[in-house]
Amino acid sequence: MSFQLIIDILIATVPLLVIFPSLFAFTTWMERKALARIQNRIGPNKIGVPCTRVSLFGLGQPAADGIKMIFKEDIVPRGADKLFHLLAPILALIPAMLILCFLPLEFPWGKFMSGKVQAFMLDSAVIFFFAITGLNTLAIFMAGWASRNKYSLLGGMRAVAQMVSYEIPLVLSAVIVVMMVGSLNAKEIADAQSGFNWFVFSPWGLAAFIVFFIAALAETNRSPFDLPEAESEIIAGYFTEYSGFKFALFFLGEYIAMFAISGLAVTLFLGAGDGPFVDAAPWMPAMWFIAKIFGLIAVMIWLRGTLPRLRVDQLMAFAWKFLLPLSIFNILLAGLSYFALDARVANTTDDVIHYVNSGNPFAGVPELGTNEALMGAMIYRGMAGEQNPMAAKKWFLKAALKGHPASRTLVAWWLGIWVLSLVALYVMAKGLNNLSRSTTKPREYLYAE
Amino acid sequence: MTQEITFWVLAVIAVLGALVAVRRRNLIHGVFALMIFFAALAGLFLLLMAEFIAAVQILVYIGAVGILLLFAIMLTERVTGDDARDITSRGSFWGWAAALAVLVFLLLPAIQGADLSQTAQPINPSVKALGHQMMDPYVVTLEVLALLLTAALIGAVAASQGGEKKKEDTDDA
Repeated sequence: MSFQLIIDILIATVPLLVIFPSLFAFTTWMERKALARIQNRIGPNKIGVPCTRVSLFGLGQPAADGIKMIFKEDIVPRGADKLFHLLAPILALIPAMLILCFLPLEFPWGKFMSGKVQAFMLDSAVIFFFAITGLNTLAIFMAGWASRNKYSLLGGMRAVAQMVSYEIPLVLSAVIVVMMVGSLNAKEIADAQSGFNWFVFSPWGLAAFIVFFIAALAETNRSPFDLPEAESEIIAGYFTEYSGFKFALFFLGEYIAMFAISGLAVTLFLGAGDGPFVDAAPWMPAMWFIAKIFGLIAVMIWLRGTLPRLRVDQLMAFAWKFLLPLSIFNILLAGLSYFALDARVANTTDDVIHYVNSGNPFAGVPELGTNEALMGAMIYRGMAGEQNPMAAKKWFLKAALKGHPASRTLVAWWLGIWVLSLVALYVMAKGLNNLSRSTTKPREYLYAE
Repeated sequence: MTQEITFWVLAVIAVLGALVAVRRRNLIHGVFALMIFFAALAGLFLLLMAEFIAAVQILVYIGAVGILLLFAIMLTERVTGDDARDITSRGSFWGWAAALAVLVFLLLPAIQGADLSQTAQPINPSVKALGHQMMDPYVVTLEVLALLLTAALIGAVAASQGGEKKKEDTDDA
């Protein structure tokens, strides 16, 4: 155990432990402000710089909330399981913090270290991410069970059922990206999308992203999937009996989990740290990454302000009869179209190389865009540096724009496959929507017993 | 040195977790102790640089088996986890005997027969290599297994549906 090792561990993990909790404070303010505006209220607007009359749009509110939470009395119900009641909020925070380490979020430490630092560079980061996300369920069940309160227990049971159901579409939509890249390594997935080759820019990627985002909402218990803590039905669900700092820990854990799962969505579908001017400064990728996370969280807040809560039967039907078949169909479609497209690119490459090798073909008009097509073919075959089908496709597109006939055929195929996949996905979603509609009327549901 | 300390810490946690899981009368406490044991085992796999197996250990045992156990307990009357007095230790003698027999006749000879001085074959621990090693020869087996499990799942659903219908009929009559 050397001193250097400890320093390395601290350098890699401290930014995560500092940046995300401070972003949490800002996010609570943002959420309260946005929800207030959606509901035609003003929201927090009094507390700003202490001891002055500067209010700064209420930006001091999170700090005031934090101080209140720390000094609030901690109440443990008499019948509660004391140990589990104490452990549950801690267990809710640990996995959420842990999965942040698997994100390909690199902080530049120019002065201290030569390279960029990422906390964990695991070969199977994506699997680890899902494995540890699942632990959150346990903490919630623990909290609901340890409180010895029927509302808490109901909330805990709802949470377990919901999270187990929605984990399946979540993982299945991530499988598509893993298939495309051929790796579970978060860094490799991020690198494969550099230069705006984001996976969301393809029909199957788009569908997978939407399914992933919906399942992520359910996985983090966000509205409209906040049944485990439905205020109008079961008080506050699993944290009914929590107050003071334990409540604050639950709150923190929930928001950190939101950051983490948005971070995974950004890694898998939205190009990780890729964006305009990414090479301008060493801190640009990290900044883009966090900006994209905030974009997703803003959508979550927006949805919370606009959508009503689902019923339990609707929740289960949506997961098992809509999201699950759709994501399985999407995997099939993605595989087929990916290989069909790849076969076309290989075919065009053969054509171009054959054309160049066959001596002097310039009998009539010289073909336009041959240089670009040749470049694409060479990149596809791996003759110019690394083999990169994505970059090859870009060169073929350039050739087609200049008027290269073989490349034009390829682009026509490309467009055709995309349009067909979009149509297939749309038809599938429409059909499943009709099939999965709950036939129970609200009144019948109420009096079903 | 670091590795040895980590190993002993994890081993002690694993043994203690297993003991608590067996000895505890409260079912929910037992399940959580079992999960601590599984987590310590995942840590041991990580120590052996088998990160994929560690991930699968967490995913399958803690994420699936543990939750399944909790589900099963939730469906019983003992969901509050109050003392389960009717768990008796009747026949504990035979249990001890069986455990000792396994230890003496199966485990100890296996441990003594193992040649630990030999260094292990260097393997490529990447997930890709692991996938090829597992999938290439056994794809058909895997597919057949998956089909069988799907059939079992559908059968279970059908069986439970049929049972409910019969119950309704008797209620009407």
